Formats: sequence, C-alpha cells, structure tokens
Amino acid sequence: MMTDSVVEVEGLWKTFGSVSAVEDLSFSIERGQVYGLLGPNGAGKTTTLRVLMGLERPTRGSTRLFGTTVTPSSPELFRVGALVEQAAFVPHLSGMRNLRLWWEAAGHHMRDADLDGALAIAGLGDAVHRKVKTYSQGMKQRLGFARLLLGRPELLVLDEPTNGLDPGEIREIRELIGRLTSQGATVLLSSHHLSEVEQVCSHALVMNHGRLITSGTVSELVGATRSIYVEVNDKQRALAVLSGLAVVARVQVQGDGLVMELVDGQRSDVAAAIVSAGLQLETIMPTQRLEDAFLDLLAAGNAAQPQLHGTSPANSIGAN
Amino acid sequence: MMSLIRTEFTKAAVRMRSIIIAVLLVGLPTLIVIAINARGDRPSRHDGNGDGLFRLASQSGLLVPAAVLSVTSGFLLIIIAGTLAGDSVASDSSWGNLRFLLMRPVPRGRLLAAKAFVAATLIWAATILIAAAGLVAGIAMFGVHAVTVPGIGGLGGGFSLTTGDLLVRVVAGTAYVAFGFTALLALGTLFSTLTDTAASAIGATIGVYIVSEILDSISQLGVARYGFPTHYLGAWETMFTQNTYSRDMIAGVVVQLCYLVVFGTAALLWFKRKDIRS
Repeated sequence: MMTDSVVEVEGLWKTFGSVSAVEDLSFSIERGQVYGLLGPNGAGKTTTLRVLMGLERPTRGSTRLFGTTVTPSSPELFRVGALVEQAAFVPHLSGMRNLRLWWEAAGHHMRDADLDGALAIAGLGDAVHRKVKTYSQGMKQRLGFARLLLGRPELLVLDEPTNGLDPGEIREIRELIGRLTSQGATVLLSSHHLSEVEQVCSHALVMNHGRLITSGTVSELVGATRSIYVEVNDKQRALAVLSGLAVVARVQVQGDGLVMELVDGQRSDVAAAIVSAGLQLETIMPTQRLEDAFLDLLAAGNAAQPQLHGTSPANSIGAN
Repeated sequence: MMSLIRTEFTKAAVRMRSIIIAVLLVGLPTLIVIAINARGDRPSRHDGNGDGLFRLASQSGLLVPAAVLSVTSGFLLIIIAGTLAGDSVASDSSWGNLRFLLMRPVPRGRLLAAKAFVAATLIWAATILIAAAGLVAGIAMFGVHAVTVPGIGGLGGGFSLTTGDLLVRVVAGTAYVAFGFTALLALGTLFSTLTDTAASAIGATIGVYIVSEILDSISQLGVARYGFPTHYLGAWETMFTQNTYSRDMIAGVVVQLCYLVVFGTAALLWFKRKDIRS
C-alpha cells in the first residue's frame, strides 16, 4: 500500500549496555508536516534522530524514511537534509569548499546541488569563502543550513538548531526555519525551546526518559491542559451561563474576560453554550502556552512511569 | 569511489601540517648531505648498516637517498606515517564532521577504504619525497659515480655497484621502506576508528611501533620478534652493504601483508558496525 508518510518510527528501542536511551517509541510524520520533537535534555531526542539518520543501529524496532527501512548509507538519506547537533566542518577549508566536498563525496555533481539557492537562504555572503575556523557559531549554523539544503531535500531534520547561539543568531535561525517551512518543506525539529516549536510546528511529540509522553497537533497539546480564557460582550451573564455548564469545573472573571477549568469536553462546548445564550463570543483560547502544557505533561508522565513501564527513570539516559 | 578519494585527499593534503611535513622532508636531506660532506669519512661498512651507508654516501650522490632513508625510517617517517594513518578517520570525528559525512548515502566501507588509500598515498609520497630530495641534494654535492664497498676489516670480499645498480636499488629500497609502513597504516586506521580523538589514535599508532622496536631489540624474545612490525624494516640495507637482496625483505613483505589483512579487516568490521556519536 502506498503511504504518504515521510518518517515512520515503530517500536524503537536503543540501549547502551544496561541503560535505555529510547524505549518503544513510535510516531510518523506525513508529507508537509512541521513536526516538533520535544523533551528535556536527556529525553532521547538526539538518539532518535541518530537512528533515523542511520548513524546508530536500533536495538529493536525500525525507522523508515519514505517507506524504506533506514540502514547506514541508505539511498533514501539523499532525500534528507539534516543538522544533527551543532554544525561541524573541516576547519582548515573554506565554507564553500566544505560544501562542495560534502556534496561531491557521495558522487553527485555540483550542478545538481542548487548551491546558489542554498547559499542565498543561509545568507553568508562573501564569508562563505573564508576558512571555517574563522566563523562564529552562528555562521557555522548558517553554513550548516546551506549544507542541508543542497540538493533541495524533501525532509529536513533539525536537532536543536539554535543551541549555543546568542539571541540575535537565534532570531536569524528561527526566521530561516520559518522561510523553509513556508516553502512547504517537511520538517522534523527537535528542541527543548518550546517557543521555537510553538512558533514553527504544526505537530509535536513530547518524550521524556526515552519514552513517548504524548503527541498531536500543537493546538491539541496546548488545549489538553483544559484551562481556557474567553471574552464576551457581557461577562456577568456569561459567568452565570458557564457556571451552570457540566463541562466547566470552575469559572471566574479575570480582567476583560473569564477563565475556566474544563472537566470533560472541548472548547467548542463552551463556545456553543455562549452562542446559544445569545452572547457575543469575541475571544476563546487556551490560558497557557505550550511551555505550561509541556511541563504538565512531563509531570504527569513522570508520575505515571513506574506503573506504566516498571522501569526506574534513573535507569534511562539521553544522548543530547 | 574516485570522488570520495578526491574529497579525502583534499581534506588530508590541503592543510598547514602537510606543508610543514613537506618542507621537513625536503630540507632534512639537504642538512644530512651537508653533514656527510663535513664529516668526510673514508668508505667503510663497519659499525652497522646505517652508519656504513653514511660513510659510503660521500662516494656518490646516488647513495645519499639510501643513507637518508636509513636514518629517517626508524623514527621520523614512523611519526609522519603514524600521524597520517591515525588521523584518517579520527580527524573527522574530532571535528564533528564524520556524522555529516555518514548522514549521506556514502557506504562506510567505501569511505574507510578511501581514507586508508589516501593515507597510504601520502605515506608513499612522503617516503618518495625524502628519497628524491636526498637524491637531488646528493647528486648536487657528490655527483653521480659508481661505488666501491670495501670488505670487512680490509680482508677482501668488497664489491662495486654501478650507477645503474645504485639507481635500481635506491628505487627498490624506497619502495620497501614505504611498503614497510603497511602494518602501521592498518594499525593506525583501526585505532582511528576506535577513538574520536585524533591525538589518541596517532599516539597509539606510534606507541605500538616504539614498543615494537624496543621489544625487537631484546634478543631473548627469539623467533617471536620475527612477527613484530618493525623487525624487518631495515632489511633493504643489505642491498647496499652486502650486495644481496636479503630473504628478510620477502619475510618483511609477508609480515606487513599479514598485519594489513588482520588489522585492516578489524578496522573495516568495526567501522561498519560502529554507532557514530561524534
């Protein structure tokens, strides 16, 4: 059966001796999705990406790119541009020479690389002709983006792309990611910077201690926390209406609107009740951002782990 | 494969270290020739082969490469060859660049073969360069002449080598010395896959050769010494000092090939299975 999945990870385990970096991880990414891989340091994000890129062999389970199982030097890797951990190059060669050598090492001609396009996006200017050892970390990251864009890959794998950068460089790199995603690239972005994921990702997966905590669209993850904020044309009437709703556990006026905790149900239930009461709904949104949801999910995941897995988190390591 | 070799050659050769090594390999023979000329000893073959070659070298510039190889193959060339072999994979690891190479559809076995081939090429180039520099400096200082090697203690048994003989034997000696680093190449490549630090791989490679030379000097170890990678390194000198192509040269080639097969295979198997974490 034909599948439109670009990335498929199934029952992935990666252990180092007696410790586990990844445990029974499964997820898939469809074409065009911008997928965030979220987790604290040591969650197993980088190990997952290393296995996905053929750098490490899975202990159990499988990873597939474009429907083909990944092995070291798998031909499907040609369709992927990756920046796993910080960008690194041959320091005594220029940026341009590094790009050429890297591309040609796999036996491809430079005419197929779209070098000009990659350089334009990276925006290094004449610095690309300087030796890499003279570059700042931000310049290396930008050159890393130029390298991963060579050949116009269908999938971009970005692992903590803003780590070690100053605020100005972080902003530049985020804008760069934004430009790439707006051009329709499928992206797998690993990060522990939640605002980064919230800004650019459509979907996200949260992992901790090598295990999947939850996954879904970013709005679902944020919404899963059950705390919402509404603004209506009549706060007092809305307070009365919402207080009587079964799906609302607690509601109170806050500033220009009302904040409530949902017991069971969706934001749409609240919206429907407000509209049915003849009130004018002006705003409805989660009260917390992804950062709050992430911390709640990690706390819930940690609390559930001993029952779910029977393995102490202390036995897990990450490789970030 | 050619594109990989070209890539690896550029990375290994186009760097300041290579230029310094090249200057050293060209400059050192000149200093040796000046030293030989200043010493001005009469021909003799006493006091060991290396010293004998030094004493004979002032007879003909064609013998200078042999003298130069004799004094450099036991230490300087080992350091250079160890550096080139040990650095082959570990340099990319230490730069953090190896993972980016292997995130492409580049077969690991082919990459390792390309790296080892480039290291071997540079080792041969270094050996040929120092021999050629010795030849040029020697001819410039002493000219091109046949050589008469006196018998031991003046008791007869001496022999002469024509310029043609000398040239052929210099080429054979240079090739033997360069090939004599094959075991080092295999060991260095293996060590280079075992560590992410180039200095560790280079140190381990040179260390093995130093230990081998030390153990080889202990005659009580008997036939075990014949298996050491350094045991037959000087076997080629008898071509000049005793007018014979020693059987030890064949034994030396066999030992080197054994090391190549065993440690080259180990490097390949390890590298293909290795988790790349640098």
